[in-house]
Amino acid sequence: MNKIILENDKIKKEELDESIKYDLFTNDTFGISSLTLEITKDTSLEIDYDFKEMTKIETIIVVNKNVNLQLFEKITGTNAKKRTKYYLKENSKVKISKFNNIEEIKEYTIINLDEKHAVIEYNLKTISEHDENYDILTYHNASETISKINPNGVNIKDGKLKFNVSSFVPKKIVKCDASQNNKIINLTNNECIINPNLYIDEYDVTANHSAWIGTFKSDELFYLMSRGISKTDAIKLLIKGFLTNKMDIAEEEKELIKNTVDNYWR
Amino acid sequence: MHTLKIKDLTVSVENKTILKNFNLEIKSGEIHAIMGPNGTGKSTLSKVIMGDSNYKVEKGNIYFDDKEINNMPTDERARLGLFLGYQMPPEIEGVSNADFLRAAIHNKDENFKLYDFIKKINTNVEQLSMDKQMIHRGINEGFSGGERKKNEILQMYMLEPNTIILDEIDSGLDVDSLRVVGENVMKYYEKEKPAILLITHYQRLLDYIKPDYVHIMKEGAIVKTGDKNLVSEIEKYGYDDKKLGTNVVEEN
Repeated sequence: MNKIILENDKIKKEELDESIKYDLFTNDTFGISSLTLEITKDTSLEIDYDFKEMTKIETIIVVNKNVNLQLFEKITGTNAKKRTKYYLKENSKVKISKFNNIEEIKEYTIINLDEKHAVIEYNLKTISEHDENYDILTYHNASETISKINPNGVNIKDGKLKFNVSSFVPKKIVKCDASQNNKIINLTNNECIINPNLYIDEYDVTANHSAWIGTFKSDELFYLMSRGISKTDAIKLLIKGFLTNKMDIAEEEKELIKNTVDNYWR
Repeated sequence: MHTLKIKDLTVSVENKTILKNFNLEIKSGEIHAIMGPNGTGKSTLSKVIMGDSNYKVEKGNIYFDDKEINNMPTDERARLGLFLGYQMPPEIEGVSNADFLRAAIHNKDENFKLYDFIKKINTNVEQLSMDKQMIHRGINEGFSGGERKKNEILQMYMLEPNTIILDEIDSGLDVDSLRVVGENVMKYYEKEKPAILLITHYQRLLDYIKPDYVHIMKEGAIVKTGDKNLVSEIEKYGYDDKKLGTNVVEEN
């Protein structure tokens, strides 16, 4: 697997083959580092961001025509403002599995489905213990494009988690499929917010969205406890399931997420 | 030898009384079947025995081995050896059957060995004619009705309970799955001699699991008890009060 490890806004390590072209430069006007990746062949890629101090960074990912990308993105550290832009060309398919375990973050994601038959599945999992704010905007700029946007978070401690998720289909862009499945498990009394927006200006479109904020279902908890699992362990099990579900990643990575949960709920 | 005793139990949910002065005693090695029309409180009984907090015990007690367990949390009841096989087990996305069962066994026995666990689960999956891949899938995720019921029986085998409540374990099963489930419950019974409480609507499950006692439940209470011949009467007359002699007398 191709891999890039960043510490703050610097590349610490990269192992990339010829399927990925990259560049990292600082925008002189705004002083923000910008990592640009062009995906030219079918591949899988892992990007690890470790923000040891407050960092502003932009990542731009261009996926070329007929290319499949499987991306695993991991964010750890203290504080960041991160902007990510995806540009998907004709018949490109991108599946993103993303795990955030950072103290505070403002993340702005723009997905451009620029040409026909571009498909994106975006699975975000986060453990929010302070302020986390996610804006995810998906633009269906071409007909017959598909987006499945699934932001999921567990809110704990002083966490205040917010998802603003918007999907856009303008007039004359037809036969698109835009879906959102937003879910926050709120284990605090703090306020969490989901704004699921569909801006659809065309009739010939399939679109749906869901938003759910709450704790785990009582029948799920009862079922696990009826097998002798303590309430604490049952909740841990449900959190682990919630954070690894639909994540197309290696078993070791899933174990890493499960260990993170264990560290929070010792 | 274990005894589950329910004495004068009255239970309500959302201010509606479901169980009314319910009495029952089940000992290890005994198989009891409860039959009755829909909405009479049979499933409520099974949930209340396991301590579902959605139900309120208004009066009466549940005892396990003479210890009152009314306020005991569900997980502790399960660790005593109580097991509920669900009519409609929930689907829990993301939590694999293997992780779930490992957590359940670890809560029961901290010294359990992973190798023994894997060996045992593989043997039981084969015995139940289940797909081996299902142990890595989410709990009941995408399972058919039959697979869900077999999964319940798999859990029974893995957790080795001493007191088993099976709530309409036969519903939604085709004949082959019914046979596999019925035979495996009996196989477990022959080996471990647990107490079994079967809740069912149909005689067909009782072709495999032979009850010592059959109870007819109506309006939240047992109104008649007999042996397995009572099942034939129910098949013949339905739940006709006059023919079965099961008139419910309302309390003033």
